[in-house]
Amino acid sequence: MARIILQNENFDFDASKKQTTSTGFLSDRGLLKKRSQKYLDLIASLDQKTLSETKGIEELMKGLQEEFGTAELASLPIGIVAKCFLGDPYEVHRLDLTAQIIRHYKINESMEPDFEKARTLALHNAYALVEVYKEKLILIRLDGTASKTDIGTPTNF
Amino acid sequence: MADQAISYADLSYINSELRSIGSYISGISNEIGVISSKQDNLENDLVVLQSDLAKLTSLFNEFVDADTRHKALQLAETRVGNLRQELDLKFGYYAEVRRMAIGILQAVDVGIVNDNTLQFTTEEVMIKAPGYWLAPALVALASWIRDDRHNTENALNESLRRDDYKATLFYMLIMRRLGRNDASLKWLERYFMHQNPHNLSREFITILEAVITGVFPPAARQLMMSNVKDWLDLLTHTDNFVNQQKAQWVSFFEASGPLPEGKYPLLEKYCINWPTLTAALKAAKTHKVLQAYFQDIVSSTDFSKSVKVQLDEILSLLVVNFDDEELPLQEQVRLNQLIIQMDGSKSAAEAMMNSEKHIFEEKVDFLQLLTNASFNPQLAGATKATQTLAVSISQPWIVEAYDTFTAQSRNKIPKTIELTIEDFKTSTKDGGNENELVKSQELFYENTLRIELGRISFPWGAIIIGSLLCLGAISFVVAAPLAALVGVGIGGVIIWMSMKNYNKIKKAIIANVEERKRKAKEVLRGCIAETVDYRNELATEDANAEEVRHFIAAIRAEDFTSLSKETARNII
Repeated sequence: MARIILQNENFDFDASKKQTTSTGFLSDRGLLKKRSQKYLDLIASLDQKTLSETKGIEELMKGLQEEFGTAELASLPIGIVAKCFLGDPYEVHRLDLTAQIIRHYKINESMEPDFEKARTLALHNAYALVEVYKEKLILIRLDGTASKTDIGTPTNF
Repeated sequence: MADQAISYADLSYINSELRSIGSYISGISNEIGVISSKQDNLENDLVVLQSDLAKLTSLFNEFVDADTRHKALQLAETRVGNLRQELDLKFGYYAEVRRMAIGILQAVDVGIVNDNTLQFTTEEVMIKAPGYWLAPALVALASWIRDDRHNTENALNESLRRDDYKATLFYMLIMRRLGRNDASLKWLERYFMHQNPHNLSREFITILEAVITGVFPPAARQLMMSNVKDWLDLLTHTDNFVNQQKAQWVSFFEASGPLPEGKYPLLEKYCINWPTLTAALKAAKTHKVLQAYFQDIVSSTDFSKSVKVQLDEILSLLVVNFDDEELPLQEQVRLNQLIIQMDGSKSAAEAMMNSEKHIFEEKVDFLQLLTNASFNPQLAGATKATQTLAVSISQPWIVEAYDTFTAQSRNKIPKTIELTIEDFKTSTKDGGNENELVKSQELFYENTLRIELGRISFPWGAIIIGSLLCLGAISFVVAAPLAALVGVGIGGVIIWMSMKNYNKIKKAIIANVEERKRKAKEVLRGCIAETVDYRNELATEDANAEEVRHFIAAIRAEDFTSLSKETARNII
């Protein structure tokens, strides 16, 4: 087993070097837990909210922090993109968690690049919403199951 | 009198001249008519010629493509034959030695071959196959059977020296086959001492196979599973190794797509973003292929064979599996086989080969070994049972890779279908706006008609010249009535001819635009119908992704490690 130990050292060295940039397999486990129905409903209710309802935002943030089990903004997604049911011409809406605003987008209106890459998937019927992180997208299916994708980041894995 | 006679004679002469001029003019006008009709014919011929040429070009391109593929196919077929021959020539003797190993075991089983024959043949092999580990192993086996301890130990050491891993495994399997469990466990332990999960030899898959399928005593499986668990913990500690496997799975998924069927000829011709469309459909169709692939893997747990048959199979796998020096040739054989499989498409074969290429790496880490066994167990040197286990252990990252693949292919689904029919450009999302599109196409042709009619000018010049001629002639009516008559005649003919010609051209343009409009409308309706079909097919195929994901997510390693031969027998 001597060889394993030897290899192990190299291995740890590699890991520590990459720690800052990598999106860990194990570290993402927490992110991939099933989302609650309450959370899905909360996001679905965005359509009813007017764009500048401060109290609504506060409630929303509270709900999100409950869902993610943390009060730290850093571990939350930078935003959420979902289909908009306001009807034509609105297509998607975006919840920007850093700026704490909700915005509805029309069909030909483009979003910020970070969010735009989530648009096509958010519009797909298989997903209820897309959580946008700096380096990845988490796709939430209608039943709350989450899956990770590295779209939009220059991945070489 | 004389005046009268002269004037009478003059008149008849002029009259006849006038008539002949009239007939000349009508002759000329007829000829002009003939020429203009000839010109029309020529124009028609040119259009026909152009369309024939376009047809010919496309046929020729198809032919060249088919020919290239056909030639590539033929070449691949020839090459496979040649490479096989070369393999046979270079390593054919190995195959004989391998067959002999199984032969000796079976001969000893029934006890019909005498010790001298065994000794003679194995020693001959030893001389004929220099450097090959199996030769001294066979000598050791033969001397062990006839109780020649000294020779056995020497041969054993020599075989271990030549290839420790394989020889160890060979003896381990032989011991198990002869029912000497303790000895085989000792060999297994020795084997594990050599292993390093970051750097496993290719034949490790064989031992995994042996232990999984339950041909070893339960103690062996415990030893194995605890090792495997430690390795997994070690390798999945960070994402490096897992991500490598994920990337390979994604490219495997991408390469598994079926070839296009040519179901949408109109879209293929008139849709300018057709490459994106067909790529999206191919990706969506991959889900079904993958479902069959995973179902096949999971459902194939075969316990029908007896332990001895299975042992012999593993033994023959161990000995038949290519030795490292054979790999480069085997790789080429595989590429040519893939070209044949892909109907002569070299690029498709290379893509498949690329996703398989890690199979040919000589030293791999444990996760890579699992991936190899999942992609192509035969090439990795394993059977379906190992493939099943490998897939079930790799399941967490297969699901992730599948999610990535699904998301990527969904992200690539084009939002609109861009059509260009003649010069009419339009786009549709799902073909639902048919009436709107047809209307805008009609407007387009109305506009075209207006522009084309605007291009031909009304023959003002000819009419003015004709009229002036008439007017001028009339002013001479008193001085020279006959000349005036001729002038009016010529002027009239010029006006009549130019008007006739103008109307003819106008009619031709209207007919031409109408015809184009009719055809273009048919094409547009056809494209819309195909768009509806395309979106439907895409949606249906895409929906399979959810099913396949459920299926993969439900695969559990425990299901298969416990479903080994022993437990299966216990249940029975």
